[in-house]
Amino acid sequence: MTLPIVVKDLSFQYENDATKILRHLNLSVDKGEIVAIVGLSGIGKSTLCYCLSGIIPHVYGGIMEGEVLLNGKSTRDLTLPAIATTLGIVFQNPDHQLFSFSVEDEIAFGPENLCVPKEEITRRIDEVLEKVGMKEFRHANPHQLSGGQRQLIALAAVLSLQPEILIFDEAMSQIDIYGKKMVKEMILRLQAEGKTIVMIEHDLENLQIADRVLVLKGGKLEPFTGTLS
Amino acid sequence: MWQTAALDPRTKLILVLTFSSLAVFIKNVYILFILLVVTLVAVRAIGGDLWSIFRKLQRFITIFVAIIVIQSIFTAHGHVILQIAQIRLLTDIGLLRGVQTILRFFIVIAAAVIMTTANPRDIIQGLIQWKIPYELAFMVTIAIRFLPLLQEEAKDTLTALQLRGVNLKKIPIFKRLKTYSYLLMPLLVSVLMKSRDLSVAMEMRAFRAFPQRTSLRELHFRRADYYVMLLSILFFLMLLFTAIKIS
Repeated sequence: MTLPIVVKDLSFQYENDATKILRHLNLSVDKGEIVAIVGLSGIGKSTLCYCLSGIIPHVYGGIMEGEVLLNGKSTRDLTLPAIATTLGIVFQNPDHQLFSFSVEDEIAFGPENLCVPKEEITRRIDEVLEKVGMKEFRHANPHQLSGGQRQLIALAAVLSLQPEILIFDEAMSQIDIYGKKMVKEMILRLQAEGKTIVMIEHDLENLQIADRVLVLKGGKLEPFTGTLS
Repeated sequence: MWQTAALDPRTKLILVLTFSSLAVFIKNVYILFILLVVTLVAVRAIGGDLWSIFRKLQRFITIFVAIIVIQSIFTAHGHVILQIAQIRLLTDIGLLRGVQTILRFFIVIAAAVIMTTANPRDIIQGLIQWKIPYELAFMVTIAIRFLPLLQEEAKDTLTALQLRGVNLKKIPIFKRLKTYSYLLMPLLVSVLMKSRDLSVAMEMRAFRAFPQRTSLRELHFRRADYYVMLLSILFFLMLLFTAIKIS
């Protein structure tokens, strides 16, 4: 059986850095599993996230060794639009990923880029807004919503591309306690739908929803034993 | 909340272009005045805020006075209305040219207010339907969307500077300018980081996956749009011919 995410012997070094931030890292994630990755600041959690989502090597440069397989296909061989329909990523700061004047337009952006027909886009908007519980905000300006709501809209925008894999790159770090609760409940619902989820976290309180917790230390992943250092 | 007046944003763009280009071409003060009245009527009819025009113009009163004085000083001919020593502070020609410039300014600002009644997303859609490349239209969206955020960020950085004990009101102008230069670096870094994050987020949502893209919105001209466009073209030609004839 092909696993949604397989990382084989991955090493990465940024162009201007003398040392590798990721060293011979291996990871396999099962379908429908929630894997949380924790680690100290600057340890390479976001870099790993970029490698998993194909942003490295397609957008950011550097020396990448080993490979990341999404459903058996290497991210090197996939284009970013092809990755976007397999894997969706929700970033830390909702303000840096929302740019439209209405929630509806924000969600439509991805499907519009993929030339999805108008009727299907409308159906997907209805579906994802229902899913994230934000139906009544369809015509609202995303920037007038609370932090948690904005993050849910960012997630809805990603879900409209119907990815099987979701990555949350410290997606709960800039939202309040209610926002965190909303996002965590949403992650559990997505797991129940069979989505594979990787959460990059620095807040240990958000780990209770994970099936497996790993710690990134010295460029490698290890089972989490309760402490980061 | 954006006002959504009934006209298509493309019709509004045509109106803006008509009024502002006429303001540039026409020199006759009386015709400029008629143009101003028509522009203000159009702004009101479309649902624009007339008071916002006057509020905007209030800021330029000093500049207007300066324009009239400068025009008077540097225009050799004309009857002197006000003179101090040998300096002709106000002449009838200077006054006329000053009023001309002010009227033009007034018309351009009033015409621009017409666009504030359109939803920015619809303006972009209008540009796309006019076959403007999507990337360019999208750049306009980002600019409209992020400019207020940048303003806020600049204000925050300025406040942070003031909290460190820098009292901008009390320091001399040249030192103040130097202090403002300190704002640039954090602002620039923040803009670069924001744009980098935004571009990655867009790439991950398949931006430019294909040369074409579908659109959830589609704009359609209605009968009122055709009437307004026809009227604005007729008005443009009529005023232009009258101005040429008079001159």
